[in-house]
Amino acid sequence: MAAYLAHYLVMAAIYTILALSLNLLIGYAGIFSLAHAAIYGIGAYASALVALRFGFGFWGGLVIAALVGALAAALVAIPSLRAAGDYYLVASFGLQVVILTVFMNWTELTNGHAGLPAIPRPVVFGWVVDTPFKYVALALALAALTYLVCQRLTSSPFGRVLQAVRDDEIAAAAMGKDVVRVKIVVAVLSSALGAVAGSLYAHYITYINPSSFTLHESIFIATLVILGGTERLAGPLVGAFLLLAIPEALKFLAIPDAVAAPVRQILYGGLLVLFMFVRPEGILGRRRVRSTRAAAGAAS
Amino acid sequence: MRRLRTVIVTLTLAAAGIAAAADSAPIRIGAILPLTGSGASYGVWMKGGAEIAAEEINAAGGIAGRKLEIVFDDHAADASKAVNAMRRLVEVEKVPFTLTSYSAPTLAIQPIGAQHHVVMMNGGGQSDNLANKDYLYNNIPVVSNEVGVIADWLARDKKLRTAALVTANDEAGRNSAKTFRDKYAAAGGRVVAEEQVTLDGTDFRAQLAKLKAAGGELLYINSYGRNVAIIADQARELGITIPLAGTSWTLVPETFKSPGAEGMLTTKLPFDPELPFAKKFRAKYGVDAGFFAVQYYTGTKIFARAAEEAMKKSGGRLDGDGVKQAIESLKVFDTISGKLVFQPNHAALMDIEAGVLRGGKVQVEKVIKASH
Amino acid sequence: MDLVLQLFATGVVVGSLYALCTLGWGLIYGTTLHFHVAHGAVFTLAAYYAYVGQKVVGLPLPVAAVAAVILAAASGLLIDRLLYQPLERRGAVRTTLFIASLGTLILVENTLAIVFTPDPLRMDIGILQTSIRLGPVFLTALHLLTVALVIVAAAALMLFLRHTRSGQAIRAVASAPEMARTVGVDLRRIHLLTYAIGSAISAPAGILVAMDVGAEPYRGTTFVLLASVGVIMGGIGSIPGALLGGLFLGLIENLGVWKIPSEWQSALSFGVFLLFILVRPRGFFGRRVASAEL
Repeated sequence: MAAYLAHYLVMAAIYTILALSLNLLIGYAGIFSLAHAAIYGIGAYASALVALRFGFGFWGGLVIAALVGALAAALVAIPSLRAAGDYYLVASFGLQVVILTVFMNWTELTNGHAGLPAIPRPVVFGWVVDTPFKYVALALALAALTYLVCQRLTSSPFGRVLQAVRDDEIAAAAMGKDVVRVKIVVAVLSSALGAVAGSLYAHYITYINPSSFTLHESIFIATLVILGGTERLAGPLVGAFLLLAIPEALKFLAIPDAVAAPVRQILYGGLLVLFMFVRPEGILGRRRVRSTRAAAGAAS
Repeated sequence: MRRLRTVIVTLTLAAAGIAAAADSAPIRIGAILPLTGSGASYGVWMKGGAEIAAEEINAAGGIAGRKLEIVFDDHAADASKAVNAMRRLVEVEKVPFTLTSYSAPTLAIQPIGAQHHVVMMNGGGQSDNLANKDYLYNNIPVVSNEVGVIADWLARDKKLRTAALVTANDEAGRNSAKTFRDKYAAAGGRVVAEEQVTLDGTDFRAQLAKLKAAGGELLYINSYGRNVAIIADQARELGITIPLAGTSWTLVPETFKSPGAEGMLTTKLPFDPELPFAKKFRAKYGVDAGFFAVQYYTGTKIFARAAEEAMKKSGGRLDGDGVKQAIESLKVFDTISGKLVFQPNHAALMDIEAGVLRGGKVQVEKVIKASH
Repeated sequence: MDLVLQLFATGVVVGSLYALCTLGWGLIYGTTLHFHVAHGAVFTLAAYYAYVGQKVVGLPLPVAAVAAVILAAASGLLIDRLLYQPLERRGAVRTTLFIASLGTLILVENTLAIVFTPDPLRMDIGILQTSIRLGPVFLTALHLLTVALVIVAAAALMLFLRHTRSGQAIRAVASAPEMARTVGVDLRRIHLLTYAIGSAISAPAGILVAMDVGAEPYRGTTFVLLASVGVIMGGIGSIPGALLGGLFLGLIENLGVWKIPSEWQSALSFGVFLLFILVRPRGFFGRRVASAEL
């Protein structure tokens, strides 16, 4: 039982980091990316490879993952400068598919479908992290750190510029805010943090392969953000902890293994639809001002 | 003083009681199998074989009086799922032993098993990389053995000296292709082209068109499970008339039903459909047993034998190290298919048959005996 | 040379399937501006309707197929009626509609996976399986039917939009919804009609794929993604563009593997698209549209 709880907490922490970092893009920069699982994967592979090939320790791997993630942010950011809204959405699908194909087929680097086993356990301040309890401590610490970083960013003057860009990009540009710079900074930070989550994941499960970083995974992370609420910083945190509890709760219902995964997905899909009717701003969101155009449409 | 003695006696009795309870607690082992997905046909065989073995063991009194229970998990050909299942088995169920299947999933769980001293028995995966791994035993020959036989037979006996390859883009497929290239070249053959396919794909026409253009006297399939039948049918649809070939892992029910696979040249590992086991399997599950059913029946029985041996030596305690030592010291096991000998590389040798697939059955033309 | 011709032929067949999807999705998107990912669910449902029609109810294949198209059109219409329209009445922004659409797609796919298992379900296609040889190119009758269907569908759609009252109303709504409403067009009715037609056009793609390789619950997601890529490449609001976009995708996928290893097939299509977006965001025939806001 304790092992189950520990596993849930570690995964909830990892998804908190993923959701918080994705929310920087969606909630604060207005960039709806469905390529976050690819970034997550890039961090996981970078960290695993430097550990396996060059004997890097956990912190070294984390830093490398963050750096590689930050570089990969260019892939996320550049299309957003040329394409907004729906165009960007489709471009991010495309990015996700391309990166996943690279994971699967650049076998010299990633070992392709077979994945990378035997990733070493993290060593933190001389302690080997190899028990569930130690992992929980490490994961929660990293999640808390991520939260603090995001909080510093969003409550800073830069954070207010972010929100201006999200709310009305054209107006923000008209006011002289450097929209391009804003998007790039956010993308870099978002990707670096997403990659850090990947690093933690790789050293926890001690095995990675491409199937953990698919489009479905990107959709799942976006689900956590949307349902938790994009307006408040704690929204993604709530989203992650609550939504990850669902599969755990399902375990008590003795659902046959073969249908457990689709059942889980049905619950997530159902929640998305339900929330859009009942509470589109998410659990912790603030009710947005209804767009007048839509309201006028409703009156016809 | 009297109180101390009472305490000691009470504690001893309590300890004995706890030990007695532990002594009759069931022995749980794991089984990580392809229960769903492109390899579900194997899963039916593997699970059924293991279940029948457990039933027989328990009917005969269990292992040293304790019932055997198997905890089944599905990897659906995804190594990540296998890893999650293994972690549950190791951390929560605390099993001493698990059956495993498929190459990539087994390679992925092996470090976990080795670290936690849990023995893994693979009855299905065949990648050469599965040999020589700590705590992992393979009661099936690695692919080099089979591929060596068929490569030789195709080049020398059948005189088909150029081949185009269809390869599954996973560990097992790639390893098989690499080995085929080596063995085929050694027998005087030459590979003219290779294309990759996915295990769960449904449309391989682009790859097959390219292979057709490359020429070659045969189409060799380094893939397994559901997609073999699709590859065969689509190849024929595209006007590819050269013979198809593959090893025993292509022989699943879908392949038997495929018109395109008729006449496929293949190797086969020994399986006697007249065995009482086969009849029992058919009666219980309504489908014919296959080679892999016997494999997992055997794997379970090997565990039972090794566990008995381990508990005898340790005075009733059972753990992974004990099972490992028992397997290493026993080395030879009596199975329903004959004697099984674990080689120093932790893999087994078997007789290999080569023949032609006709009407859902392999007509054997050549038998290569295993040299122990 | 034979190889290139074969790959070209397969590319045209696959491109036709994609074109059926781009035509349908493009019509819906161009008229309603909904990012209707649930179109993938309609595509998948069409496949299962046909499968059930033939294998469970026992209908002859053509009857099952036609019934499936009608049911798919109804399904698409219902999604607008029960999902998008109520949400719009509540003042939902486009992101909300997209999320709801995504949720619906996930719901439908996974329900189908539970009911029918995730394994591909084959249908009996009888004579459509016959191999047809055109010189060095090998195709089946089913493949030729696919190409014929997309030509008919595209032509029918163009005629409909140009020469019928409803069609013209749809075009009016697509280019200037406010103006259309001012002259008395019932937006809600036009949306329903658009969904019905768009779904009816793409349904055959799902059915044809099911007839070729079996019905699968998760295929719709891939097809709707590719449809959106094809529509953007072809240019939003253009039928020839949608046709060309779909064909282009099919050709890249198949001709592309002539020189690059086949496992990079999907990366190639999306890679080309990403380049496209950077170089010519409005696509082949698109109007110079201000970046559509999500």
